[in-house]
Amino acid sequence: MKKNELLQKLAGIQTLESVMDILKVDKKMAIYYLCRIRKEGYVKTRRQSNNRRVYNISLDNKLGGKSYYDIINHCSPIKIATPVVHRIYGKGPSLEETLIYAIKTKSLRTILASLALFKKISNWVELYNLAKENHIERQAGALYDLARQIMRVRRMTNRFRRSALSKREYKFEYVVPGLKSRDFEDIEKIWKIYLPFNKNDLEEYK
Amino acid sequence: MITIDQQQKLLSNVARRLTRKITVYAIGGTAMMFLGFKDATLDIDLVFENGKDRAVFKEAVKSLGYLEMDAITVYGAKRNTPEMFKLNDERFDLFVVEVIDFIFSDDMRKRSEQIHQFEENLILKIANPHDIILMKCATERVKDKDDARQIINNYTINWDIIINEAINQIKLGRAKAIWYLAGFIIDLKKIGGKIPLDVLPKLYQLLEKQ
Repeated sequence: MKKNELLQKLAGIQTLESVMDILKVDKKMAIYYLCRIRKEGYVKTRRQSNNRRVYNISLDNKLGGKSYYDIINHCSPIKIATPVVHRIYGKGPSLEETLIYAIKTKSLRTILASLALFKKISNWVELYNLAKENHIERQAGALYDLARQIMRVRRMTNRFRRSALSKREYKFEYVVPGLKSRDFEDIEKIWKIYLPFNKNDLEEYK
Repeated sequence: MITIDQQQKLLSNVARRLTRKITVYAIGGTAMMFLGFKDATLDIDLVFENGKDRAVFKEAVKSLGYLEMDAITVYGAKRNTPEMFKLNDERFDLFVVEVIDFIFSDDMRKRSEQIHQFEENLILKIANPHDIILMKCATERVKDKDDARQIINNYTINWDIIINEAINQIKLGRAKAIWYLAGFIIDLKKIGGKIPLDVLPKLYQLLEKQ
């Protein structure tokens, strides 16, 4: 069987039994095929609590690099499937970059999962600079205040808050277009930013 | 030939030498490697959005020891040939928007969904498989037909995307786009490409209208 065909059939999370099932081969041949693609770097193996091996088979394993979604999934209790491929090589993206990327996606689920990053963010200067570059400093500030209400987070510097806070001439903006909050209107007024979450949406953080 | 690992090291090296952030589009073998269609490629085909970006990239490539070579040896006397740089077995083909007889259009850019960022400064977007086929049709070297067949036989192709892009190319001033595509598809059929029966009649109809 050719490698491409193997990868197409086996892409995803597999166990030895599922590989035998998909390829319609016996245990010996299934192990042989897994070894073949593992040698080329397509397989990552982990063990379940009952000590059974689970194989993650993907081209991404071969390509290496890191994606923003890997970082979000590592830090957050809310896990997200990768909707787009954006891999970074030669440098590890910082948590600050990851948060800004998440806000820029304007995806409800991605932003929700990325709130957990506030627990670990410590370089407020970098966060402010990146947010300013992308014109989303108020969004970042509002999401910080929101995160602070539901989990323990590191303290935002006064400098960030002072610089990012809404001025009189600013107009209301959305984090996710069209979505407003019923439960966090106080934060919305401070930052002049409509937040996309209500209290119920944040239950997974409790 | 360059393997995936070698290509990543090479692009990281180039990225370290770039003086500013640039976005490039990978077409051809490089794109196929990132999409899992191929394990190695002869050359790295890149499309730039403007000449300034290509100039920045060229400087980085030259600083790695790559030497400029004549495009005629590979592409013949065609229009819009790339600037080419070679070191040992590795070669860069650098295009700016136009790839021989085709234009890397806005729609093609929008369809390039995969992003691979090298270091700080090099953002590589991977062309959609449909557009890779069209670009292969543009360059039309011997190995390009094999590559296109490989994609067609291993990926679910939506032929409407390819035909509509060929129509779009006509709007952009490439009057012979459908003609070239039809010829390319006939050649692909001959070497075992799985082409649906209705594709060629559709292209002939469009040619007649034209």
